[in-house]
Amino acid sequence: MLYVILVPLLPLLAALVIWIAGRHLRERSAKVGAPAVVAAFLGAVVTLVVVSSNGPINIRFYDLASGTSFRLPMGFYIDRLSAVMMVLITGVSTIIYLFSMRYMQQERGYSRFLALLAVTTFVLLCMVSSANLLMLFIFWQLLSWLLYLLSHNYSHPATMEGAFKTYTLLRVGDVVFLSGIVLAHALYGTLEFQELFIRATEAPITLSLWPGSSLEISAVTAITLLIFIGAMSKSAQFPLHIWLPDALYAPTPVHALLHAGIINAGGFLLNRLAPLYGLSPTTLHVVFGIGTLTAFLGACMMLIQNDIKKTLGYSTIGQMGYMIMECGLGAFALAIFHLIAHGLFKATVFLNCGNVIHKARQEPNFPPEDPAGEGGEFSRLTWLTGFITTLILPLIILLTTHGILRIPLGDSQGAVIFLFFTWVTSSQAILTLTRLRAVASWKVAAAMLLTLLVVVFTYLLAAVNFTYFLYPDPDEVAHYFQAAALPGWLFDCLVAATTVLITLGWFFIYANAHGRTIRIPQWVEMLRVRLYVLFMNRLYLDALYLRLGYGLMRAVHRLDKRYVGWLS
Amino acid sequence: MMEFWTDPLPVLIATAFLGTVVGLFLWPRPRMLKIWMLLVTLAILLTLIAVSRRAGPAAGMPLLYLLPLAAFVSLLAQPAQEESRISWLMTLILLGLGLGFLVSERSLGLMLLVSLLALLSLLLYRYKKLSRPQLWWGVGIYGLGIGCLVVSLVAAPPISSVALLLTYSVLLPLFPFHGGYVAALAGLPGNVSAFLALLLPTMGFHGVLTLIPDAPVGIMHTLLILAVSGALYGSAKAMVQCRVVNTLAYASLAFFSILWWYLTTTLTYTPQAAVYLSAVGLVTGGLFLTWHSVQVRYGDVDVNRIGGLARPMPQFATLLSLLVMAAMGLPPFGVFSGYMGMLLNPSIALSGFLLVIMVTWLAASWYFLSLLQRILFGRHRQDIRYEDLRHTETASLLIILLILVAIGIVPARFFEAETPTHGYGTAMESNLWKK
Repeated sequence: MLYVILVPLLPLLAALVIWIAGRHLRERSAKVGAPAVVAAFLGAVVTLVVVSSNGPINIRFYDLASGTSFRLPMGFYIDRLSAVMMVLITGVSTIIYLFSMRYMQQERGYSRFLALLAVTTFVLLCMVSSANLLMLFIFWQLLSWLLYLLSHNYSHPATMEGAFKTYTLLRVGDVVFLSGIVLAHALYGTLEFQELFIRATEAPITLSLWPGSSLEISAVTAITLLIFIGAMSKSAQFPLHIWLPDALYAPTPVHALLHAGIINAGGFLLNRLAPLYGLSPTTLHVVFGIGTLTAFLGACMMLIQNDIKKTLGYSTIGQMGYMIMECGLGAFALAIFHLIAHGLFKATVFLNCGNVIHKARQEPNFPPEDPAGEGGEFSRLTWLTGFITTLILPLIILLTTHGILRIPLGDSQGAVIFLFFTWVTSSQAILTLTRLRAVASWKVAAAMLLTLLVVVFTYLLAAVNFTYFLYPDPDEVAHYFQAAALPGWLFDCLVAATTVLITLGWFFIYANAHGRTIRIPQWVEMLRVRLYVLFMNRLYLDALYLRLGYGLMRAVHRLDKRYVGWLS
Repeated sequence: MMEFWTDPLPVLIATAFLGTVVGLFLWPRPRMLKIWMLLVTLAILLTLIAVSRRAGPAAGMPLLYLLPLAAFVSLLAQPAQEESRISWLMTLILLGLGLGFLVSERSLGLMLLVSLLALLSLLLYRYKKLSRPQLWWGVGIYGLGIGCLVVSLVAAPPISSVALLLTYSVLLPLFPFHGGYVAALAGLPGNVSAFLALLLPTMGFHGVLTLIPDAPVGIMHTLLILAVSGALYGSAKAMVQCRVVNTLAYASLAFFSILWWYLTTTLTYTPQAAVYLSAVGLVTGGLFLTWHSVQVRYGDVDVNRIGGLARPMPQFATLLSLLVMAAMGLPPFGVFSGYMGMLLNPSIALSGFLLVIMVTWLAASWYFLSLLQRILFGRHRQDIRYEDLRHTETASLLIILLILVAIGIVPARFFEAETPTHGYGTAMESNLWKK
């Protein structure tokens, strides 16, 4: 089984060769790196097949008995989750590497860039196959540093500023993550995943928040919350998301790798520690709250961007919010499913967006304007298609899920929200299509509905099977859903609020399309404008952090000046 | 332990001092003098290795190996210039005094320590590179150290022990007695300060370990609070410095405050602490050498006036980036291993102080990265003829990085003796705090 070590080692070896001999290799550097990354991808696929049939692979270069001794505990634990992530990482890396070979050829730091890409692949692979929490943290930190190196350009001040901000915020997450690790080790005496889960389950510990106070917190909640902050920073969750849009000046392949691979680290971490998170409903609720907020804010900020890369950047923040929200709902496997789908989609989009920008610069009329415009009357067929999509289709899905897939919807909030999400997505798709007036005939409408049905059911079936693949024990899945269950009233309110919002949206569009005037109170109009300004300025969070930083520095400077010569 | 240490003492001190005397004869030929100095430090290192092989493994021994090694790399990095000669000789004398203190019995050790502190005061006064308050504060702190040593020789316990502790806190910098350490690092020539970054804390560490295990609780609490205050103070000061050497010196204070926190919490010698100490000392030394290579080329310039070195000096940029990476506590370097080892020690208590230690760690990332960006990035000046690192400079920095990686990846191999026949634990003197 030692061959699996080659999967991460091949990119590392390639990086070392390129780094050492890069000056002599020049353009040929890619010929060293590409085969290594492709081979790593093939190795990852083989590993996935082996792990799927034979169970997890466990390789340790340290003695488990001396867990607390003074050694760096290096080893590999590759289960289905790790293997899936390895395939995703090597797959995306291969695409990006092959793309970069031509795209970056004229750049001065071509070899260095290729070496860094290969090292990043190595670090990501080691991170997802770590045998214990400490090893995971080691590669987690290296990823922060690599992100800094990849996203900075030393001749461009804005890029440097963005890279500095990126690293600082990631480091905040790293340090809080480390606090979680220290706490876990101090309370449970181990950082081995399985051992930690067993001890945390068997020995619930309560911590006092302040010596002598009656305020208490469960140890698992404290640990998982601290680790979650680490995940928040890497996965750009509110309010630690501001580094992601600032990494825009990095080369296009870096964006693709960042948005398709690196940013998924948070989702992976929560999945790796799912048994621990399953012990703390409080943390899961916090995770759900942060994820929802990030999804909402990310989507809002995305809507008002006028730059293609920024739009995609905020779209990623929104999608990461969804992914984290799914974890908060106990749907851990769905989060992985989501991040794979998003990763592949976003890598493609980012690799393409460079060409689009280039084309737009060359051709002033690109993209061409729609001569008919977006306004005008919609046909009855359009409305009927929309009605079926948003009301009939969800009902069919709901009944099928309940009857055929036998998912107990009454006990499973996560599944309901997932269905709800499917409904919202399909509604969004149909709304976009009707705006473009694509539904011009019965044939088109029928084909569209059929396609939508097939896509939705395939998605549902794939998601259910994927959940079974990653977490074969149905009791475990049910346990996560139960742990994540929100209070009934809150859950009902959320569903009701979303339903009302979508219905109102339909109503608004319908009325607008028919030229009817909707009386909107003045304060709502004003609110809309204010929200626009607020989101345009990214909620003023950048300015706030900057002001905090300057304030701190000013205070320290003032102290230093006042007491100059003292204690120097 | 004392039996073990006593044997090589005359050889070590004699080698260092004879080397210095012979060096005086080579004074007119800087190149030969430098080679001679390098050979002497290597001879001292080989002597230590030979002695330790004869005596078997011992806790604390790797720290002894590192001292001549640190002296060697600090000398290697220097260009063979006439103005560097005195600092080379001083390095050898300081090495002799330091090793003498570490391996000799108490009374002789303390006398050697007095000589070392006096020598440092003289050197500070001779070079006068610091502002007047900083210079006099540094000299004053060394004076305090010498005074405390004298008191410790004449007074009875526990006053003598408190006095000794004060002296050791001058060496292993502890707020507010860090002035001497900071002044030595910021005010002495490049290679001397690089060497002192490891030598002084190692001596302080060695001394503190003989006092801490039986120290009264009140003293321990005081030290703990001073350590935590020092961590915050060092970080804050490092953030606002304009001079690179000051930033490095205060950063080092913050890092060693973490070590003080650990020592006052665990009250014993652990290999983790030794790894951390050596790694922080080495990385600080490495950073001093790196900056010294800039000073040798362009003078003692403001960092904001010499930025953009990444493009014209790629080797320098690579090595500085790696050293900064190590200083920020990233794996696979020794600072990370030592820090993690200390944090994961079962005897560490969970308290609010831990939060301060984490903040100190975070702050290091901030100011080191800021320093790196200021030195390497931005536009380089067109009016300067840039020259990348010479082979000797590259070699010395590479040696430091290799040691840092080695003790980072396999710390146990170097610092955890299989059967510690002579550990610090057995050397603790239990009657130091009793009347």
